[in-house]
This record gives sequence, C-alpha cells and structure tokens, in this order.
Amino acid sequence: MTRKLDAKDRYYIDFPKRISDIQAAMAKEKIDLYLGSRLRTLSWTLDAFCPWRSFVVIPAEGMPTAFIFVIDVARVADDTWVDEEHVRGFAPMGGQDQIEQIADFIRDNLRGGKGRVGIESGMSNYLPEGWLTHYEYEQYRDALAGSELVNAHTIVDRLALIKDAGTINRFREASRIVDEGHVAVRAAIDNSGWKGMTETEIAGIAALAMRRAGSEWEWSFTGGNEIACGYRTGLAGGACTPATRKKLAPGEPLMVDIHSMFMLGLGDHSHNYFTGSATDRQLWHAENFLKIVRATLKAYRAGITPSTLADEMMALAEEGRYSDFMVPGFEHGIGMMGDEWRIGLNDGPFPYWTNPDHVYQENEVLICAMQYACPEENVGFRYENPIVIGKSGCEELSKYPLGIEVII
Amino acid sequence: MSGTIKYLSPEWRSEVEKLLKAELSPEKMNNISSSMSNIYRNCPDGKERYFHVKFDNGAVSSVSVGDGTPPEAEFIITGEYEVFAKISRAELGAQKALMTGKLKLKGNMVKALKLASVVDRLNKVIAKIPAEY
Repeated sequence: MTRKLDAKDRYYIDFPKRISDIQAAMAKEKIDLYLGSRLRTLSWTLDAFCPWRSFVVIPAEGMPTAFIFVIDVARVADDTWVDEEHVRGFAPMGGQDQIEQIADFIRDNLRGGKGRVGIESGMSNYLPEGWLTHYEYEQYRDALAGSELVNAHTIVDRLALIKDAGTINRFREASRIVDEGHVAVRAAIDNSGWKGMTETEIAGIAALAMRRAGSEWEWSFTGGNEIACGYRTGLAGGACTPATRKKLAPGEPLMVDIHSMFMLGLGDHSHNYFTGSATDRQLWHAENFLKIVRATLKAYRAGITPSTLADEMMALAEEGRYSDFMVPGFEHGIGMMGDEWRIGLNDGPFPYWTNPDHVYQENEVLICAMQYACPEENVGFRYENPIVIGKSGCEELSKYPLGIEVII
Repeated sequence: MSGTIKYLSPEWRSEVEKLLKAELSPEKMNNISSSMSNIYRNCPDGKERYFHVKFDNGAVSSVSVGDGTPPEAEFIITGEYEVFAKISRAELGAQKALMTGKLKLKGNMVKALKLASVVDRLNKVIAKIPAEY
C-alpha cells in the first residue's frame, strides 16, 4: 500500500514539491524528461530504499515513475509515497527489461517521442552511487534515437543541498538511535566486559541496540558498524575499518564508529576508548584529538569553507605539534541514503570532489569527520558526527558526550 | 460446434466471446477490470492483426479482432503470428515466449504478474476453440 504523506508528521517531507522543483529546474535547462539512476536521487524523490538497480523517470509535469528490479518492486511500492500505478517492475521479459521498457515509457512521455533527456553521469569514490553505466548510456542512446541525452544530475544535487525540516528531523532521530548504540557498547565493555571481545562483537552489540531503538540498518557501505582496535585504529588515512575478528587487548585504543538509518536519514558517530589502561603518551594523543575536535565543532558555521576550516585546524595541530597525525580533512557530505560523498556541488578544481572553496550555508547537513592516525605507535582516533550548519554555529546531532575514556 | 474456425476471424471472435462468457464467471476472473490487446505481426496474409479483450468487474465486456491499431488496452502483447499460434496450439508456453523475448509485453508488469493466473485461465478457454491457422 502506498504510504500517505502527512504534513503534520515531524518527519514529513514535501515530496510532490521536490518533484515540481525538479520539473521547474528541468524547464529552465530545457530538459524534457529526467532519468534518475543514482541511489541518492531515488531516495530523495521516492522516499524509499532502492538497493537494487532502479530508475526514476520524471516527466516535464506530473508524477514520477519508478522502475524497480522486479523482485523488489512490490516492497518499494509499499514503502514509497508514489502511487502503485507509478511504480513499475522490470525483468528479463520481452518488452519488460530495463532498457526497452523505460525507453518505451520515455518515448511515450516525450512530445513526438523525442526530446532532451537528463541523465546522471559522473564519478564518485562512493561505489554504490548508481551513475548510469557506459553500457546503459549506449543502450538508451540507441533506443531513444532522435533524443539527446544530457548530463543533468546537478539539478538534483542543487535542490538536495539545503535540508528541509523533515529531513533534519530524520537525521536527528537517526543520531538519537546511534547514541543508544554507544550506550549499549559502553555498558558491554565496562567492568572488564571488553576482555575477550572481538570487533565484530562490538559491532553486533551496537547493531542490536540501535535496531531495538528503531534503526533500519547499519547503512554504511564501509562495513556497517566500523570497529577497530589496536594498530587498526592508527592505519594511515583510516576511514574504513569494517569490524574484524580481532580481539580487544589491554592498553590498546578502540574506535567505535556506528551507523543507523531512520527513514533514509543517517546516523554516523564515532567514539573512542582505551581498554584496560593507557600510557601518558597515548593520553597525550587523545588530548590532542579532543582539542581539535572541540575546536572544529566550534568553527563550523555558515560562510566558512572546507579549506579555511582545514587551514585553521591544521595550524592549531601544528601549534600543538601533532599535525603529522591529523588527516587534513574535516568532513564528508551526507544526505538521504546514497548521498555520502562530496560536499556541495560539482564545481571544484577536481571534478566530482569537494570544492575546497564551497561556502557552507544554513541548513546544510554534513558529517564532521576527523581522523587522527599514528601508525608508528599503533594508535588512532576517529570522530564523526552529523552536524547542521547554522548562521553562527552548528548543531551536533549526536549528543553522545565527547571524550576518550579508559575503560578498566 | 463442429469443424474448425479460422483463427482471428469474426467467427472465431464470436466463439471466443461466447465461450468466455459461458466458462469464466466474474469470480473466476477475480472480478478484475482490465484490458489486453494482442498484436499479431506477419499474419499469413502479411497483415498485422489484433485481438482485444476487456473485462469489467470480472465480466467480459468487449471482444474484438481486426486490422491496424487495436483499441487502447492496459496491456499490449506484441509478437509474430506464428508465436501466438504456437501458444494457442500448446506448443509453446506464454511465459517462455515472454522470457525469451518472442513476445513483448507493454504495461505495468507488477499488475501483469498479479493477473498471470487469470490470463492463463482465459488462454485455456480460448485454446478450446478448434482453430485453423
């Protein structure tokens, strides 16, 4: 059954307006129809999780139509706000595969069967992005002879940049859930509970607590709940630590980076510990990291840019003589499920990477993401927290207290 | 009924309508409201023909055959005449014909899947008509 939108719901998002905003932008760019294929576009327009290859076709006016791999179509139709008539399945059947069916549909929705069709083509370091593949492009180009395929993803990127109240509330709830996960992990490892535990077990404890609190899944493609202990916390770069069977050991750091999803809003928060004990040197590293996290959170506000913030923070690290251990990046982009890469638009010096001169605006949401890594000493920390950019500061969505605790 | 009737002829259409009304109650058709047009390419005389059937609340409301453009339908199935003939003679399954691309379905596949069993019932009734291809 199609989900009904309720404007009184605190998680309400005006999806029909999103579609009409896309259509208005299409008209400005003389695009007659938009063929969306990215996970982020599907989430942002359909309000449904689409893990299988899916497409959304947005005509010049009227409802969008989703095309979903047949095994998942009934479930998506049940989850989305789009009515059943506009959720179609595709399968390897005559006239029903994703190329022929969608090309037919596009022709039927273009005046004279021809026009300018917006597609989503580009690149990303985020693997499940969902760009139209080269093969798909060629097939649609041939099937839509007489039409012009033009890259148009900026339309969605621009509209999705500033988050509305419903989206921010979904992120707030996802962060509340993440905090429940941290509470459960803290309780489990306390009083020598950590002894004999593995990273995978920590990941599972957090997952269970977050699921109990309403999380739909541990969404991160980097390994669900990312847990690292010992030397793995200090791996250079250090932004991907899917939990392993490594056992927690005394005197070692433990990094707990957990992820929740609530109505396609994403929770993502990292907390750090030492298990058993910590040396003065380890505590020095920890204090350095906490200082820079506090300073960074204080610095975020509308009007600053990633590069000005990085310059300021790296200067602070230099002054404290720990700049060698800081990864010089302080954030990553975030949006509804599938939007987890670049900050802002594709307008920087390196295509499809964050523009270092992107100027933050009020109600942008990003993940404040910081990594401290000292591989020589087998120590590292990670801080992540979704933040909402405000005029004169930022709202930290996870409220879990900042700290690096020594758990006995 | 004795002898054979030419497939897709007006007589065949009348026989289809009579049999469907007699053998498929609205309950048996799950009280569906839908319509389907089969488009037959390369008929023996080289023409393109159609067969159209419509149900309202499970009752047959329209059956037609003809040349050229079929009436609007929720589902359009297109294929070679010989493929449809093979299906009617039970030499080829309709599903296999779709899965191998011998037939092409246009319409909402999710709905089509829900209607697969009733369409099967319909085809079985039509197959009872001794037709000359």
